[in-house]
Amino acid sequence: MSIAAPLTPKQGESERLSTVLTTKRVGLGGAALGLIAWILPLPPVLARSPWPSIALGLLAALAGAFVVLDPKHRRLGGVTIFFGLVAIPLALAMTNQSAANVSQVFTWSAVIASGLTFTTPLLFGALGGVISERSGVVNVGIDGMMLMGCYFSVWGAYATGSWVLGMLIGMLSGGLLALVHAYFSIHLRSNQVVSGMAINFLAYGITGYLLVAQFGNNGTPGTVPTVPNLVLPVIKNTAFFGVAFGRTNVLTWAALLLVPVIWWFLFRTRAGLRLRAVGEHPMAASTVGLRVLATRYAAVTVSGVLAALGGVYLADGFDGSFNFQMTDGRGFIALAAVIFGKWNPVGALGATILFGFSSALAYRMETFSATLGTLFQALPYVLTLIAVAGLIGRSRPPAADGVPYVKE
Amino acid sequence: MTDQTPVLELRAITKRFGPVVANDRVDFDLQAGEVHALLGENGAGKSTLMSVLYGLYSPTSGEILVDGEPVRIGSPGDAIAHGIGMVHQHFMFIPVMTVTENIVLGSEPVKRGSGAALGVLDRRASRRRVQELSDRYGLAVDPDARIEDVSVGMQQRVEILRALYRNARILVLDEPTAVLTAQEITELMAVLERLKADGTAIVFISHKLGEVLEIADRITVLRRGRSMGTVPRAGATEQSLARMVVGRDVIFRVHKDAAQPGRTILSVEDLHVRDDRDLEAVRGASLTVRAGEIVALAGVDGNGQSELVQAITGIREPTAGRIAVDGTEIAGRGVRAATAAGIAHIAEDRHRVGLVLPFTLAENLALRRYRQPPLSRHGWLNLKAIRELAVRLVEAFDVRGGGPDSPASALSGGNQQKLCVAREIDSDPKLLVAHQPTRGLDVGAIEFVHSSLIEQRDAGKAVLLVSLESEEVSALADRVLVIYGGRIVAEFPPDVSDEELGIAMTGGAAAAA
Repeated sequence: MSIAAPLTPKQGESERLSTVLTTKRVGLGGAALGLIAWILPLPPVLARSPWPSIALGLLAALAGAFVVLDPKHRRLGGVTIFFGLVAIPLALAMTNQSAANVSQVFTWSAVIASGLTFTTPLLFGALGGVISERSGVVNVGIDGMMLMGCYFSVWGAYATGSWVLGMLIGMLSGGLLALVHAYFSIHLRSNQVVSGMAINFLAYGITGYLLVAQFGNNGTPGTVPTVPNLVLPVIKNTAFFGVAFGRTNVLTWAALLLVPVIWWFLFRTRAGLRLRAVGEHPMAASTVGLRVLATRYAAVTVSGVLAALGGVYLADGFDGSFNFQMTDGRGFIALAAVIFGKWNPVGALGATILFGFSSALAYRMETFSATLGTLFQALPYVLTLIAVAGLIGRSRPPAADGVPYVKE
Repeated sequence: MTDQTPVLELRAITKRFGPVVANDRVDFDLQAGEVHALLGENGAGKSTLMSVLYGLYSPTSGEILVDGEPVRIGSPGDAIAHGIGMVHQHFMFIPVMTVTENIVLGSEPVKRGSGAALGVLDRRASRRRVQELSDRYGLAVDPDARIEDVSVGMQQRVEILRALYRNARILVLDEPTAVLTAQEITELMAVLERLKADGTAIVFISHKLGEVLEIADRITVLRRGRSMGTVPRAGATEQSLARMVVGRDVIFRVHKDAAQPGRTILSVEDLHVRDDRDLEAVRGASLTVRAGEIVALAGVDGNGQSELVQAITGIREPTAGRIAVDGTEIAGRGVRAATAAGIAHIAEDRHRVGLVLPFTLAENLALRRYRQPPLSRHGWLNLKAIRELAVRLVEAFDVRGGGPDSPASALSGGNQQKLCVAREIDSDPKLLVAHQPTRGLDVGAIEFVHSSLIEQRDAGKAVLLVSLESEEVSALADRVLVIYGGRIVAEFPPDVSDEELGIAMTGGAAAAA
């Protein structure tokens, strides 16, 4: 089920509680066994034999197979089988490596710090995607808007000497590019996917051209003021939390904070209700006096600003330099997170954390096993495909997502 | 009526869509506390006129006055501000949102203090106000249910509540009874009486003469975009109104000789079918239809009719039971097998099932037989033959509003239905399944469909008619079967009284039997 569903659960489910519990328990228990199977070969346990994990994994898969037979719990069963089966190759791979290698990769505090780094730009992009698509406009141009944020934050910080102004200029550039997308898809009612792709190529071109025109062949100077890390006074000296959270970038905290803020906006405020109404059924929204086109313009623009913030983090959150096409398709992974997260900010957070952390692990693994690294790198795409196919919970987009609104 | 200033007056409203004149200098006025019916065939311009009033269309010329003052209504927001509420024919809801959210959308209560600036929803206040309105007018709704989970009848009550929530003094109901059961219609009429007593002015759009005579104080008739005049209810009869509506006398009951039933064509035995939610909708239904008779399947909507028809026509796979057409077993073999066995199907929903709206008339007319010569050979379509077929059928069935190459979406509802009827009858079936074949049609088109069905019967076809309207059942049927709870619970001769039929349809006869 989706996390924090805004609507009250259907009545009548409690009646069947007693019968539900048994199957459900088996499923949840199986999933737990699967998780234990994952954890065993990793630190701090660091089991050196794959057999306990394989046994537990098979047990979990078996439990899942039992649960999947019950049509009411097909999803839970599917997830449990998946958990159990994946544990087996994982355990084999891990026990095949030296204990030193495994504990080097799975230094959890460092994994968290690195995972948050990978998560942040994806989260900004996904939050932007959620806002735009909830209003009924598909925004495939997230990647381009992110790239604008990358370039213009660096250029802005370079030109003004201030990271704050650089960030604002970056956000503005993403918002402006989003306005172009909004004009094409709302006013001209062009195909939103095509318009979004065109926006991406436009951004690749603009930033690539400006990079050379402004900075020449040597690239950005690398001396511009950058967005600082937030150094937490006491925590920074603790062993585990210090490494994990002690020196996290301001923008990472901002992204995490935006999750509840945007959730609350969408599901608890008047403007959020109206935005969702416009994305579900613009005609109905219009007949109660809502302004469909204006709402969509606002949503798409905000979405561009958020995506650009992801770009600001990518470029000016590190060493303050810009490289050609440096988003490297992160905008598209963010879009996958929107779908995987069921168009919900909290879901998007879960999805981007999953994607971000698998990227972090892949990155860390490359030091001793390129093949395993690639495997982890592919995880987000596999999971998204599974989600789109409806195996892990059905993903239902806003009803009018991608459909232009014609008034008369 | 009284001489006081009308709460609403439309003066010489004209609305053109390109060369088409949808409203031609229409005058209309409305007093507080009256029901003023707007009567006319489909495409007569009733909905257009009301869309102008509600700000969905801007009029080409003409004037709107509220309380004697000229007003400009450029958007639904303006209409709401002037106290105009609309109950749309096709409900305007956000299906995934709750009843309460749909009602308050657009003028939501927000929390006071700091919450007001941020626009924080006061969900408790929303719910309370919906509950209060619901109690006050006797419009029972479940405030927390999602719209997609509640019945059509409740959805309509939500639409009315939404207008009342916005303090509407003028309530426009566009074909409000088209989707309701007999019971729900009775309830609606009671609600309207209550609103009327409260001083609400009501515009009641309909093409059903009976209900207009029952509820309206005055009746204005539109024909082809023009007002044919306004008459008080007193003195008006179905015949006098019908003449105004179609411009000629209409035969209400199609002439029909006694049936000459032949051999059994359709035989359904102990059929079980599950619906989309995987619940058993048809639970052991058995019936037969013979050649040369019309068997009407009567019942309240949602008692398994749709699933039964889908199983017979091959759209839905039954879980158990037998379906045979003239001796050929077809249960669970799909639509192609059903067609090959000689079944034609006038679908319940012509938009979603009956027609491919963006396709041309010719393409739609070819859909049932495109795989056979002369329409195609060796996998290649014979466009010339398809066109000839279309020209012939458009002519024979008097389909108006477009030629073989126009898209089906360009036709009015009645003509779209003629298109479906034409295609199905022309496939020369053994069994014609007609599922609510006159739903949403005007008097002239109903007459056409009814006489077509009787012609088919007289030509020796078996006809299975599924209808929710008792008038239609008694006008056409040679035998009446009643479906209730997924079973055939009673069989009556065609002259069964409405009362007896009503009891059986609501499960009374099953209890007695």
